[in-house]
Amino acid sequence: MMIEMRGVTKRYGDVRALDGIDLDVAPGEVVAVLGPNGAGKTTAISVMLGLTRPTSGTVRCFGGDPARFEARSRVGVMLQESGVPAALRVCEVVGLFQRYYPYTLPLDELLARADLTVKRDAPVSTLSGGQRQRLYFALAIAGDPDLVFLDEPTVALDVSARRAFWEQVEGFAELGKTVLFSTHYLDEADAVARRVVVVDHGRVIAEGTPREIKRLVADTTVRFHADVDLERMRALPGVQRADLEDGFVVIATNEPEALLRRLFADGVAVRDLRVTDSDLEAAFVHLTNRGVHGAASGAQGSGAQASGARRVQA
Amino acid sequence: MSATRSLATTGRGVPAAAAASSTDVPRRLSPTAERSGGRLALLLTQVRCELVSNMRVPEFLIGVVAIPVMLFAMFGVPNARFELPDGTRISTMMMPGFGAFGLLSLVIFAFGVDIAAERGRGWLRLMRATPAPGWAYFGGKLVTSLVVASVTLLALFAVGAFAAQVEMTPARWLRMFFVLLLGGMSLAPLGFALGFLARPRAASTIGNLVFLPLSFASGFFFPLNQLPQFLRDIAPYLPTYHYGQLAWRVTASPEMVEAYTGIAPGPAWVHVAWLLGTFVAFAALAVLGYRRQRSREAA
Repeated sequence: MMIEMRGVTKRYGDVRALDGIDLDVAPGEVVAVLGPNGAGKTTAISVMLGLTRPTSGTVRCFGGDPARFEARSRVGVMLQESGVPAALRVCEVVGLFQRYYPYTLPLDELLARADLTVKRDAPVSTLSGGQRQRLYFALAIAGDPDLVFLDEPTVALDVSARRAFWEQVEGFAELGKTVLFSTHYLDEADAVARRVVVVDHGRVIAEGTPREIKRLVADTTVRFHADVDLERMRALPGVQRADLEDGFVVIATNEPEALLRRLFADGVAVRDLRVTDSDLEAAFVHLTNRGVHGAASGAQGSGAQASGARRVQA
Repeated sequence: MSATRSLATTGRGVPAAAAASSTDVPRRLSPTAERSGGRLALLLTQVRCELVSNMRVPEFLIGVVAIPVMLFAMFGVPNARFELPDGTRISTMMMPGFGAFGLLSLVIFAFGVDIAAERGRGWLRLMRATPAPGWAYFGGKLVTSLVVASVTLLALFAVGAFAAQVEMTPARWLRMFFVLLLGGMSLAPLGFALGFLARPRAASTIGNLVFLPLSFASGFFFPLNQLPQFLRDIAPYLPTYHYGQLAWRVTASPEMVEAYTGIAPGPAWVHVAWLLGTFVAFAALAVLGYRRQRSREAA
């Protein structure tokens, strides 16, 4: 196993940043750790890197202590907020990181893999946000690592910069490398990862392929005024939740078209209709609640784990 | 039990069981992978990056190289015509003072303020996630400072020799160089301690609050006998004062040093002992700060 976490907890005073995480990552996997802000994603990555000591539980990287030299030599990482010395040029910073590792890739290849060839001699201070993230990616792969951690690598990037960034990551993963990244964008996890681990309140609340996770998470919220039977709404395909909120009917679904078709076919007088993307926070609250109540609807759980996580079967 | 417990901690000691299974996933090198350079290549690259980084930030070089040299040119050159009773020029006595001032500002800013800033930006944390040994970072800073310090001293000596009529035997110039250099480096832990203990935003202010009063009260700008009595009273308890006394002793006899500073220098070993003591005390403090920083990150 590249990574094995068993019952890892991390407390900061009364706050439980990690509340019993179990996670295995196998060689060659591309795993997304998906969760809202404050879910514990960054803490989990810190623990896997051996930068943060867990309060209890164990973490192994390549079968041993993640902080030992043998593990560090095979791991690359992009952390949030790591200011590069601004006066250095791109090739100088990358050249420095090449020396930090026992093995490295040729400088030209690193720059090409990060799409920074034309910025080779540019001072770091002149890079755009997207270029800067790609520089951090070049640093992360400077040691030709077997395992790369990317902690919310695209958080401040616009859509096109995000797409360009993931292309570089996928190029590296094609070498057979293992990639673990955190994000709070479901679409990103969907597009890049082959396995998604949903984390909230320091726990793994769901785990599966992107398709399985998407089925669990209602991505659309439909709100309207009408007199409808909520129980009937809940029985419609794709509907995760139907409630009355401030006089509005609020339905979380991932098949909004089917819902609207049914409403209009039934001749329901719908007023003040609004269809919006669910924010992930709401979707996660929903998932968490279901985890607690154990009322699976979209997929059948293969049995709750000791940590409360549910493994999803397609 | 013991294996799992120690795995939960970072760093120290890999349990035997874990070490045995640490190769359970074979290394997967890319076709183009190549061996990286050795330790020397690492240190040289680190030093080169530090140096070019510093050279591209003019404020830094102005602060630690240009200012001491300019101040010496402004105050030392006009004082070349005054002499101590034995004929030693006052400019000769002023030169080591400005040299000591320059090196003190170097260790405070290159070590203290720089480290605090890199710590604050998260750069140190990223470095720590790599297999790079800790000595690479500190070694890089140390070697870089030695280079910059040498530049400062050589520029100062040039002004001394060619403009301020400082006359010494080659052996004394050489001794002056090494006394100032080594004495300055003995104060390096002061900078390291500041770098790891000060809040990153406060480090620059604290640095100024430390090095300006120290320079003043140690007689680096004006001879101590021109300073208020209370400063003369506390001077012998400042490590920088002892640094200065060692440097002045290179240029003149103890009597002349007393005539210039107003305080009789002690035996050389007393001053050396002060510097060694300072080195040890602040190195311990710096290590404490470094550990505190790491355990805070890991906590």
